[in-house]
Amino acid sequence: MANFALVCNYEFDYGMKLLQVDSENTIGEVIQVARDGIAGVFVAEPEPGVTLKLRKYGTTEFLDENLKISETDFKQTETIEIIHVYPKA
Amino acid sequence: MNLKNSQWYDIARDTNWTPKYVTEDELFPPQFSDPFGIPTSAWETFDEPFKVTYREYVRTQREKDVGAYSVKAALSRVDFYKSADPGWKALLQMHFGTIPLVEYGSVSAFARITRFGKGPGMRNMATFGTIDEIRHAQIQMLFAYEFLSVDRAFDWAHKAANTNNWVILSEHQCFDDVEHTRDAISAAIMTNFSFEQAFTNLQFVALSADARRYGDFSFSTMLQTIQSDEARHAQIGEPLMKIMIENGKKAEVQKMIDISFWRIWSQFSALSGIAFDYYTPLDKREFSLKEFVHEFVTTQFLRNIEALGLEKPWYWDDYFLPDVDTYHHAQQIGIYMYRDTEWWDPVAGVSHAERDWLEKKYPGWNDTYGRVWDVITDNVKHGRLDRLTPKVLPMMCSMSGFELTGVAGKHWKVEECMLDYEGQRYHFGTPVDKWIFEQDPIRYKGYKGFIDRIVDGTIPPGEGIFDYMSMSPEERGRCGTNFTWADDLKKLA
Repeated sequence: MANFALVCNYEFDYGMKLLQVDSENTIGEVIQVARDGIAGVFVAEPEPGVTLKLRKYGTTEFLDENLKISETDFKQTETIEIIHVYPKA
Repeated sequence: MNLKNSQWYDIARDTNWTPKYVTEDELFPPQFSDPFGIPTSAWETFDEPFKVTYREYVRTQREKDVGAYSVKAALSRVDFYKSADPGWKALLQMHFGTIPLVEYGSVSAFARITRFGKGPGMRNMATFGTIDEIRHAQIQMLFAYEFLSVDRAFDWAHKAANTNNWVILSEHQCFDDVEHTRDAISAAIMTNFSFEQAFTNLQFVALSADARRYGDFSFSTMLQTIQSDEARHAQIGEPLMKIMIENGKKAEVQKMIDISFWRIWSQFSALSGIAFDYYTPLDKREFSLKEFVHEFVTTQFLRNIEALGLEKPWYWDDYFLPDVDTYHHAQQIGIYMYRDTEWWDPVAGVSHAERDWLEKKYPGWNDTYGRVWDVITDNVKHGRLDRLTPKVLPMMCSMSGFELTGVAGKHWKVEECMLDYEGQRYHFGTPVDKWIFEQDPIRYKGYKGFIDRIVDGTIPPGEGIFDYMSMSPEERGRCGTNFTWADDLKKLA
């Protein structure tokens, strides 16, 4: 049941999207929802070895994938960013 | 003996009589007429540059109509339409759905200026403007009506304005603000100056030129007849602003320009911008949106502003000029990909040759918006149709009602400004949109945009979105070229 809306700023995309998720979803699950809806549709699929990380808009720290939305300070329509993280050379 | 107009015009239209049975404020309630407190004697100096008598007006308008309707009668519009390029069809479908009833809405704005304007010349010009706008709605409705037998999209010339389609909500949000909910002075400055002097040249002169090059002579002639009216009543704004500035209201005028110019720019960029740079067939394009804007806005409009002693809007260099290069390219992606939410059949406009043109006109396009189109093109080439209709919804700006966008791809820069105000969260596409809200929160607060209505459950999910927009399956936009635009790219692969 989608009861929580997030505004998603997915790296390389032309505009922000609305993600409708559940407050008990984890950050990892939110990343997957964003990837399912945007990668391969608007933005190229991440290359092998590249991982997607999520941070709150305006911050630099990525959130733990196991954290639930209900455990964050997110409000309805919080804006998040999904960023490609490349493996260290 | 015939008198020359100059011998009687000023005195004949000077109808500022002194009221005996009501007070001045009852005749001209300040909240409708002049909340700025300019003396009546100052309003009597209003001197319109176009001095037109009713007799002349009727004769000229009749000649315009005869010209437009005879071109229409001489040319088979239906046959022309049937064989038109899909991009041109999309342009006509979009134009006739978005414009005619906005024109009809302007009747109300002009009628308010006619009734409540305190300058006699201002009321006189606005009377003509009222009649003009009725004509603009009628002639465009009639031209659209002719296509009904061959394309369902033209039903939306009448229908669109009475639906909750997201494009229409965006139009309402803009024009309700600048035209319909302001006193006579503010509405005139925002509509006659910011809208008509700055932007209608783009829609009617530039588009008319493109129509002529494409061979759509009746559409071109119709647009010309409209623009000649716009040019006349656009001139209500300048003398009005002079009076305001001379009476110490320069800051108020500047703010009105800054607000309305940005609001209307968003509309023109998103809708006219994609028509110029993506819908007009490539071999008939002479200028890009950017070039048209440079000609009509950054040169002419700026000169007019500065001649009045005003400054260019505060956001001109940092937000407006960069927006000219970017905003409509981002909107085009969304409008194409979410095409089933529109009544017209959008085209992609990104064949190999079109991409070359875009890169030439907007250096860096391939590395930015082109990157998104690379993904879309790859899906078309490989027949992955499920990826050509997005499952996630776009986020929209709380002020413009269009998608929250920025620069895509290699130079990715998509930003927003968020504001929590009295329990509601607002998302703005730029600091300018947020600044507009902050100038008058009482005016703007509480408005629920399309996405807000989805989030709060007003709009049911899935098919409910289309029901809310009054769009049956047959009325939803499809790719205007049925994805054949990628054929030449397939060959190159």
